[in-house]
Amino acid sequence: MGLISRYLEENGIPTVVMGCAKDIVEQCGVPRFLFSDFPLGNSAGKPNDPDSQAFTLDLALRVLETAVGPRTTVQSPLRWNDDGSWKIDFSNIEQMSEEELAKRRAAFDEVKRVAKEQRDEAGLKVGAAE
Amino acid sequence: MTDQDAALGFAAPHDTPVPYIHRITSYYLALGYGNPYRWAQYADVPFTPLKKPLSESRIALVTTAAPYQDDKGDQGPGAVYNASAKFYKVYSGETDKEHDLRISHLGYDRKYTTAEDINTYFPLGQLHKAAESGRIGSVAPRFHGAPTNRSQVTTIEEDCRDILARVREDEADVAVIVAN
Repeated sequence: MGLISRYLEENGIPTVVMGCAKDIVEQCGVPRFLFSDFPLGNSAGKPNDPDSQAFTLDLALRVLETAVGPRTTVQSPLRWNDDGSWKIDFSNIEQMSEEELAKRRAAFDEVKRVAKEQRDEAGLKVGAAE
Repeated sequence: MTDQDAALGFAAPHDTPVPYIHRITSYYLALGYGNPYRWAQYADVPFTPLKKPLSESRIALVTTAAPYQDDKGDQGPGAVYNASAKFYKVYSGETDKEHDLRISHLGYDRKYTTAEDINTYFPLGQLHKAAESGRIGSVAPRFHGAPTNRSQVTTIEEDCRDILARVREDEADVAVIVAN
């Protein structure tokens, strides 16, 4: 989404990216970024929590209004939970046994096979990554 | 956490933004895929100032979520990664209608995110509320869906152009882009 933000902006459309992957968005380099320090999939607020969703959108709008230049990141003050323990688990091989890794290797092979089938069906060239 | 950390009121060492690039790269290396993804990285970043107040601006919404397709398997909430639910061309939907969009085709956090509430990844409802309250001028007539299973070259040469053309067609002033 960073690429889209950059392209729109180069063509005169101001943008704000709402996201949860701080390093990925900042490495790409975008004009304005509202970072929510939440598990991936919650860029617009917490589930079943309309107040957090309203707050998050309003913050994104404020980032649009107040950014002084490119690479403006604002971190939402909202917390997913008190101890941040969810951050330990995502794709963290240090937390996985050999058995778990083998299971995931097999599952990943299957995902790749389905994706290739889909692409072949659609007659598209192979994408570099997810 | 050490006693000194506690005395100073520090957060736990793990409580920093997740280093996704490092995690994902080392994860796929451990799975035996030796060709790590090259994440986009630019030194220069463009910037376009707002042309008018948001209360007078038309806002476009861009999403990576996919329309639910009932022949494409489990798409959640709580679904495992579902590559068959991916889409390969930019699509648009009318913002004055209800939409059933899902994120089962994306690499979101399967342990802590259930994707049961569309408003956590598709803030169209909140955008409408912002328009009703006068916080923004209006919501553009269409939102736009961006494919994610594309090479970066294809994203730039096809999808970015396509989305820009649609945003312009709708005479939107500003875009809110929601990553997942």
